[in-house]
Amino acid sequence: MAEDESFDLAGCLERVRRRDQAAARALVDHLYPLVIRIVRAHLPRRVAEEDLAQDIFLKMFTRLEQYKGAVPFPHWVSRIAVTTCIDQLRAQKRRPEFRWADLSENEADVLDAVMTNENDVEAGDALAAHELVHKLLDQLKPDDRLVIQLLDLEQKTIAEISSLTGWSPSLVKVRAFRARRKLQKLFQELEQKERP
Amino acid sequence: MNTPDQKWPRLAAAARQAQDARDTAAPYGFATRLAALAMAQERAAISLLERFSLRALGLAALLAMVCVATNYATFAGLFRDDATISPSTDDPVAEIVDLVS
Repeated sequence: MAEDESFDLAGCLERVRRRDQAAARALVDHLYPLVIRIVRAHLPRRVAEEDLAQDIFLKMFTRLEQYKGAVPFPHWVSRIAVTTCIDQLRAQKRRPEFRWADLSENEADVLDAVMTNENDVEAGDALAAHELVHKLLDQLKPDDRLVIQLLDLEQKTIAEISSLTGWSPSLVKVRAFRARRKLQKLFQELEQKERP
Repeated sequence: MNTPDQKWPRLAAAARQAQDARDTAAPYGFATRLAALAMAQERAAISLLERFSLRALGLAALLAMVCVATNYATFAGLFRDDATISPSTDDPVAEIVDLVS
């Protein structure tokens, strides 16, 4: 586990550099929870999470010689994971249309509750809200989507997002602004359409 | 109706309550397969470089030897004292002056 403090990361990296396969296995096992959380949060449609995780680990091994220890190793791997996910999202050019008819009953109820002041979103509907959020995020440009997801769902700071993506803080703010404006427009469009 | 600015924050707040109960441990065999794949990939890259660089070195040495062999006479001439060339042979001005006079 990435949280396992007893794991000798420096020693393990040293052994991986000497081409020790057992150390490479241990490193993958140690970092898998960190990588899979990022993958699950930013997984594009129709992409298997295990395939994406494998791509990320292969990139990590290929670039291992470039790691100079300027940042903690898990942070360096997180950056590879985030950029790999964004590349996959960019590869999916076509975005599905967002329609009431495509929502489940729970998702439609959540959307109703959000769009009116009448009801609060019930705690039991968190999963539906989560699904709905991802359907809305699918409507955004990949870069904007990544920023708004890190900012509003994972509650990371602008500085953290900047460090993870390599984008300047101003660019992160611009993308967040653009994403929120697009979401606002989507809500307005949905208000104009009648719920079936 | 909500003001537009409140809708997304309310929805995002509700979505944040969702707990992801899925297992985060690597699937059985994933690390083994990946480690083998990564090491094999690295080895292939290195051996390719080794093979090409050794071949290139051999070829370069062979070409150098062929060059020396075919141009041996020229190379040998460079080190010989060469004072046989007449300075006026290739002087067009001298030739014209000779013709006029």
